[in-house]
Amino acid sequence: MRRLPVYILIDTSTSMRGEPIEAVKGGITSLIESLNQDPYALETVCLSIITYNASAEQIVPLTEVYKFHLPEIIAKGRSALGEALMLLTSKVPEEVHKNTPETKGDWKPLLFILSDGGYSGPIAKPIAEFKKLTFGVVVACAAGEKSHIDVLRKITNDVIQISTIDSTSIKSYFKWISSSISTTSMKIETAGEYDMAIDALPPLPNEIKVLRSTNN
Amino acid sequence: MSLVTTLLEQCGIQASLAQGDDFQKWLINEAWNKYKDSRMNKRIVIENQVKDLNIKLSNGTVRKDYTASFSLSKDVVTDFWIDGCDQLGLKCDISEENECTISGKPSQPGDFKLKLSYKYDGMIDGEEPLSIELPIAFNPNPRSLWKDIPTDKNVIFYKDDCVCEYVKVEEKEETGPRKDIVAASQRGRSHAQEGKARDDHFKLVHCEDSDWYIIAVADGAGSAKYSRKGSEIACETVVAHCLEKLKDSAAFEEKIRAYKNAEDEETARKQMANIIYDIIGNAAFKAHKAINEASKANENSKPKDFATTLMFAICKKFDFGWFIASYWVGDGAMCLYNEKKGTSKLLGIPDEGEYSGQTRFLTMPEIFKDATAVFERLRFSIEDDFTSLMLMTDGVSDPMFETENNLNDFEKWKEFWNKLKTGFAEDEIGGVDLSDDNEESKTQLLKWLSFWSPGNHDDRTIAILY
Repeated sequence: MRRLPVYILIDTSTSMRGEPIEAVKGGITSLIESLNQDPYALETVCLSIITYNASAEQIVPLTEVYKFHLPEIIAKGRSALGEALMLLTSKVPEEVHKNTPETKGDWKPLLFILSDGGYSGPIAKPIAEFKKLTFGVVVACAAGEKSHIDVLRKITNDVIQISTIDSTSIKSYFKWISSSISTTSMKIETAGEYDMAIDALPPLPNEIKVLRSTNN
Repeated sequence: MSLVTTLLEQCGIQASLAQGDDFQKWLINEAWNKYKDSRMNKRIVIENQVKDLNIKLSNGTVRKDYTASFSLSKDVVTDFWIDGCDQLGLKCDISEENECTISGKPSQPGDFKLKLSYKYDGMIDGEEPLSIELPIAFNPNPRSLWKDIPTDKNVIFYKDDCVCEYVKVEEKEETGPRKDIVAASQRGRSHAQEGKARDDHFKLVHCEDSDWYIIAVADGAGSAKYSRKGSEIACETVVAHCLEKLKDSAAFEEKIRAYKNAEDEETARKQMANIIYDIIGNAAFKAHKAINEASKANENSKPKDFATTLMFAICKKFDFGWFIASYWVGDGAMCLYNEKKGTSKLLGIPDEGEYSGQTRFLTMPEIFKDATAVFERLRFSIEDDFTSLMLMTDGVSDPMFETENNLNDFEKWKEFWNKLKTGFAEDEIGGVDLSDDNEESKTQLLKWLSFWSPGNHDDRTIAILY
């Protein structure tokens, strides 16, 4: 059976402590609740969560929505974004099934990133490695004004921004992720494919603005 | 002298009665506080030990068998019990060895919390037991989330959500048993979920006078708004054209005999191909044109709004075997299956792109750009007897075969043929009794088409000549 793998990368550094991290947890919980009510998503979507602070950790390996359990998330330390990308780069080929002559592989995975503030550690090589993977859609959300948007731009063209890292903005980002996953899982079912662009996903909520790159 | 001052005196301490009383109060208070702290510390230690066990109950699905188990070390917990199971339709068994099993069929979906209460060694009678909440989640059965909304009958180009048909060709004394055709078409769950019409279509004919069988199956593109009409026009047009050509087929049959007996195989094959082109190729082209006409007649629509795949076959039994000719554009599968000989022959090449949505359609101009393009999609041959000729849309072939590789594998067709006959016991879907003249098989086949396959909810159509 062809699954729709979804990876979510979350910054859990010190700056996320308190209200933001609680909003992330609440956001993921409502995301799971709503996907569990969607017959398309329930059958096809698999979800993985990678968090990164001083180091990166895949706290949930690629798991069917109905089996999903969210472990505790604690915000502390720096933001090893590069290490998170490296971890993702090693997990995707392991977890996402490829086409074989006898079976059809999984759909191209979706990736949603939530990054606040900057990053620590090497970044150029991880981005180069990450670029070798094929994703359907990669959306990076920069939370707060201090975010290093230029780094996120190197990861994907689809960078969006929430200007403050408050509970409402973070929750609306997760709500949007949830409806994007639902839309995509329905599209692959009815059309046998999905559009590889952020424009094909549901419209972004008011709290989120799209940062169009000006040079392409 | 009091008991306390006497004790103090034995230790060489002189104390007044009042001092003795005060000392007694102080001593007991002090010791009691220490005692309480020590009790409390023990509680906290045990509480943390239990917390650290990180007991997790796996998620379940409503009305599906559920079991989860965990155990608590006797060193930590002497006795425990769980509240809240009954309300969820579960029961809880705890063994002598402190192993706990929660099982049953969850009655309702949602997130719940069970209360695990426990006692430890050294607790005093009446002391409040400790407790911890265990989250447990039950998902709705994904199948129960699928809705079945009937298509609005006032919608333009309305068609029934499901149909089935049986063409009974009764045996005669001079012929013996003759093959029948059974077909069924079922709207996909993704359409039913939104009350959208079925896009697939089929058409079956057996010409009583000439004994030709004509079978057509078409799959309207999900993305095209009038594809349900496109598939209908395609099937109706090709079958009508072939029937017209085959009603009086004496001349054609002469050519088939000549082809069968020809010494110069290559020349005979070319001649035959031209005749087949006239019947089959022109039928397909006529269907293409008929759709263009329909598009013109309907305001604000383009031919691609009627996009559809199409596969059809004509066949007849002769004294030397069967003559079969066919045309196929798009995905799905058309296969001549011979169980005895152990062969499965695909009558064409499925047009599959890298993604299953990128197929070709009858409505595309390039399909008829020149004669070669048409010839590529034609097949004809003379066969010994065969088990069945099957035509199906990708709603059936995708979940059953997945890849083109499997479509070319006899073993997979054998599995498929058996699956048709046995059904899906785990989903209480019976098999199809494909015995001669069994008209009942049409409803069985329709029911069979509702098999469950995660992520595969397209319209499903299959026609079987057997």
